[in-house]
Amino acid sequence: MNPPGADKVRDALSQGHWDRAVALLQQLDPAAAADVMMGIPFEEQRVLFRVMPDDFAATLVSYFPYYHSYVLLHTRSIESLRAIIDKMQPGERLMFFDELPGEAWQRLMDELSGEYSPVAPGGEGAGAEVAGAISRPIPAVEPIAEAVQVEKSFLQPDGRQIQVIAPTDLSLEPDTITALLGPSGSGKSTLLRILTGLIQPSKGIVLWHGRPLHDCAPKLAIVFQSFALFPWLTVLDNVETPLLARGMEHSERHDRALRALHAVGLQGFESAYPKELSGGMKQRVGIARALALEPEILFMDEPFSALDVLTAENLRGELMELWLGKKIPTRSIFLVTHNIEEAALLADRILVLGRNPARIRADFRIPLKQPRDRNSAEFLLYVDYIYKLMTQPQLESAPPSAAARAVKAPYPMLPHARPGGIAGLLELLNDRGGKDDLYHIADELLLDVNDLLPITEAATLLDFARTEKGDVEITDKGREFANADIPTRKVLFREAALTHATLLQQIRNSLTSKSDGTMPLEFFRDILDEHFSQEETQRQIETALNWGRYGEIFSYDSESDRLFLHRLEHTGDSQRDLLHQG
Amino acid sequence: MPSPPKTSSGAPPWGVFPTGAPSLLRDLPILLAGFALFYGLLTFARYGIGPVNTQAEIQLYPGALPKYALFSVTRIAIAYFLSLAFTLVYGYVAAYNAKAERFMIPLLDILQSIPVLSFLPPVMLAMIALFPHSQLGAELGCIVLILTGQVWNMTFSFYSSLKSIPREMHEAAEIYRLSWWQRLWQMELPYAAIGLIWNSIMSVAGAWFFLMACEMFVLGNRDLLLPGLGSYLQTAANAGDTRSIVWGLGVMVAIIVLIDQLIWRPTIAWAEKFKFEQVEAAEPARSPILDFLRRSKIIPLVARVTIRPAREALNLYFARARAMPSERPRRVLFTKWMWRVLILAGLVATAYAMIRMGQMLVALSSAEVGGIVRGAGATFLRVEATLVLAGLWTIPVGVFVGLRPRLSALVQPLAQIAASVPATALFPVVLLMLVRIGGGMGIGSMVLLLLGTQWYILFNVIAGASAIPTDLKEVCGVFRLGTVERWRKLILPGIFPFLITGFITASGGAWNASIVAEYFRFQGKTLSTVGLGAVISHATDTGNFRVLLAATICMAAMVVTLNRLVWRRLYGLASTKFKLET
Repeated sequence: MNPPGADKVRDALSQGHWDRAVALLQQLDPAAAADVMMGIPFEEQRVLFRVMPDDFAATLVSYFPYYHSYVLLHTRSIESLRAIIDKMQPGERLMFFDELPGEAWQRLMDELSGEYSPVAPGGEGAGAEVAGAISRPIPAVEPIAEAVQVEKSFLQPDGRQIQVIAPTDLSLEPDTITALLGPSGSGKSTLLRILTGLIQPSKGIVLWHGRPLHDCAPKLAIVFQSFALFPWLTVLDNVETPLLARGMEHSERHDRALRALHAVGLQGFESAYPKELSGGMKQRVGIARALALEPEILFMDEPFSALDVLTAENLRGELMELWLGKKIPTRSIFLVTHNIEEAALLADRILVLGRNPARIRADFRIPLKQPRDRNSAEFLLYVDYIYKLMTQPQLESAPPSAAARAVKAPYPMLPHARPGGIAGLLELLNDRGGKDDLYHIADELLLDVNDLLPITEAATLLDFARTEKGDVEITDKGREFANADIPTRKVLFREAALTHATLLQQIRNSLTSKSDGTMPLEFFRDILDEHFSQEETQRQIETALNWGRYGEIFSYDSESDRLFLHRLEHTGDSQRDLLHQG
Repeated sequence: MPSPPKTSSGAPPWGVFPTGAPSLLRDLPILLAGFALFYGLLTFARYGIGPVNTQAEIQLYPGALPKYALFSVTRIAIAYFLSLAFTLVYGYVAAYNAKAERFMIPLLDILQSIPVLSFLPPVMLAMIALFPHSQLGAELGCIVLILTGQVWNMTFSFYSSLKSIPREMHEAAEIYRLSWWQRLWQMELPYAAIGLIWNSIMSVAGAWFFLMACEMFVLGNRDLLLPGLGSYLQTAANAGDTRSIVWGLGVMVAIIVLIDQLIWRPTIAWAEKFKFEQVEAAEPARSPILDFLRRSKIIPLVARVTIRPAREALNLYFARARAMPSERPRRVLFTKWMWRVLILAGLVATAYAMIRMGQMLVALSSAEVGGIVRGAGATFLRVEATLVLAGLWTIPVGVFVGLRPRLSALVQPLAQIAASVPATALFPVVLLMLVRIGGGMGIGSMVLLLLGTQWYILFNVIAGASAIPTDLKEVCGVFRLGTVERWRKLILPGIFPFLITGFITASGGAWNASIVAEYFRFQGKTLSTVGLGAVISHATDTGNFRVLLAATICMAAMVVTLNRLVWRRLYGLASTKFKLET
């Protein structure tokens, strides 16, 4: 994390010697130099990048992640941007362009061919301002809260341990909005609860200003997904509740609560009951209740996901207004979300969580200025990058920890997608010429990533589609499926499921090995219980039943809780023969 | 100056003064009711401490009825408040102490299956032994008995409410550091309120049933008689005094209706605000009495000077006590040891009781065992036959009424009044009629059981039939289903969950009622038939504790077994397969 020479570069920077810093960097190995660059605050990176010679810049660009290179390149003038790209190694240049998502690629091509007029989102002016501001020495940032090697395991009823969170380090710094992103069921909320002290970690410790969490009274508040308001108390009483719990006298309590309600625009609603309010208004009460406590860190657990799209957008904007305008004493916000765009819009820093067990797969900063334009090329770069991270588990920016590696290869999981959803995705891809960016599809279908990712994972698992670098592409099999009629689809689905889905293979094999062709479902539940938590097992079983029934691999009788090798197998086969003849 | 508007809508524009007088007038009933309550308590207290009244005589003239009614109501009220206290403590401990929960909940389940009336003799004997010189002993026995009849379902309701408080709400309470006191009043009690209120209504209705039975009964050679409505009715029936019977029943119905209108309706309407719902109900429960109380000026005034400052002080006291560091380790050790000692003592006491009971049971003669077995069989058949009979008339009638909303709006209140008359109050009347027309106890006991049980089924069937969705009824119309098909495909499955609920309640009620229905002292003669209830009652009469114990255990075992083997399974089926999901 601290390459040799990094200290020297930092020293030079803190004294404002930009040229010396560049010279020092040039003496390092390019990879190490890129590391040092990534380790310093972004505003300084921009200045450094602007003052370094073109050929050195061209070398470094191929070492940064593509989205970062793209943003840095745009801190320079169009001419020097062209010069730098000209000076890149041909192979590196090809790779860089290849990785860029559609919009960013288009804009860069326009810029290179001279068609792009740099009117609106220029980097020059902003860069100059920054250069002036940077000459102050950088204070060492001390985290407010810090989790050290926290991990969480749950004891199964039969005594086995299921690890849900692998050993994790995490620190929350002041003046930062940190977003924790991850698919549903990845343990995001558990991590939030460990950081706030609601759940004790199985191992590791949470520090608050360097002291153990349970030794101090941390100033924190949580905004909940379900709002968690008391429906029998008025809006004002709800906001006053935590203040009363602190033993605050009536008049002070009242004033503080009114101020908090005023801040979120709820004046006039003090005597209303939560059930009289819309979802957005309820969450405002939740935020006001949290803000009234004047927390150092405001924790938000999927705060906008129970709201409709427009309301959520509006509320996000208002939250950012409070935060950017320093209208609230909160020093840091920790936001748990599964919404990629939301994270990219709000956060200064994003943590991406992997599943089974949860661990931080990526930790990076988004240096874009607020308010962000969700149609700008830079913004889409980050969104695309996050999609890529979430669809490609092997793409790890942090090395997996020793403990994570020690865990044996996990049981392959079925993505929780219904066959109908998979078919829908394939049809859409087929109509679109076979390939598209994931965020486009999500946008088009108004689908949450939470809903879209399992579907693409399932399509990939079944070899109906390929996901690569945030794009999803239909395969020949997938095309065949999309063009087929219903009975043929079932046949294709069955073949694919029996070839690629371990659980369905196992069920099928067990059923065929039995003379009566029937097994209790409980048997498979027990197998899965060894690998998954109880809820996950339940979801796996539900998905397997959906797939198996759709593909006519087996049938299930809920009354006896047994699986049967499909009773209509004979007709199924003859149907298939008919199709082959036809 | 404009002339005052002539319409009555809106506040009158003239001065504040004239509104004062009507307000005082409006509050007068509230004040008077307060004085009346005080006088009633005084009367009951004077009577309670008075000497033993062995030769109490029930005066049959109607003028004596208010006094008897007051006594009966006071008994119920005292028993109810004791039940409430027990409920809060037991439910709270069971919900939050995982160790205690493991034995407290099964215990509760068994206790609520034991037929309460068989508790009567031992409880009475114990209480009279405790207070040999005042009326208090018999009174306490009666109250304890009512308590054992009404407390279990309230406790269960409170416990399961506590357990179902949403997780995020608990977390909000924890993260905002609510003291246990604040949590109780702002979260737990409001959350449990609605369930507790409905169960209180059921419990108090059940209390009337037991009160009637235990205000006048024979224990060995002693005639115990407590002045009250129950003893009045029995005395009147014994004397064959039809006029007095009518008076007594009239007063009882009036009291039950009054309690419903003056206490339960306003309470239910008031509890609307505790509904845990996110949107406002379309048709909230209303009560004119509650509106009247809400318009009152005295109540808010009294609340402002008493309840509010007290609430504020208590909340602040507990909040600050929580913030204070406590000597935790020592107290933990102390409570740990206290628990161990308590558990040990409990075990020793249980073992001792078991041994003594074993000794008693071993001494049973074979004739006595035979009597119990024969009685058990007879009562089993009688109870099931009663359920079938009740089902035979209530299902068609209930469906007929339930499918016609206007008819059911008319029938429901009438049926509710009919059902509110406790069956035990009607027993003497029914017996009187039976004696006059010359029927035997075999038919008589069935009539009595039917009286006590049919209402549960009828109400549930009406509720079930009116809950059948209109679109399903229309589907039957569209497909021209015949009457038989319609019943098989729609009506029976539709009312099934409700029917099962009705049968479960009815079955429990029938077993309990069999103790009073199969054996009766009437006009100096003993009327009885073969049955377990008769065995229990006879054993009580003759002071044969051996048989009493064995028969009670037998009945409890049968009720528990039936619940486990039949009703619980049917209930499971009803709540999964036959649940109409919206």
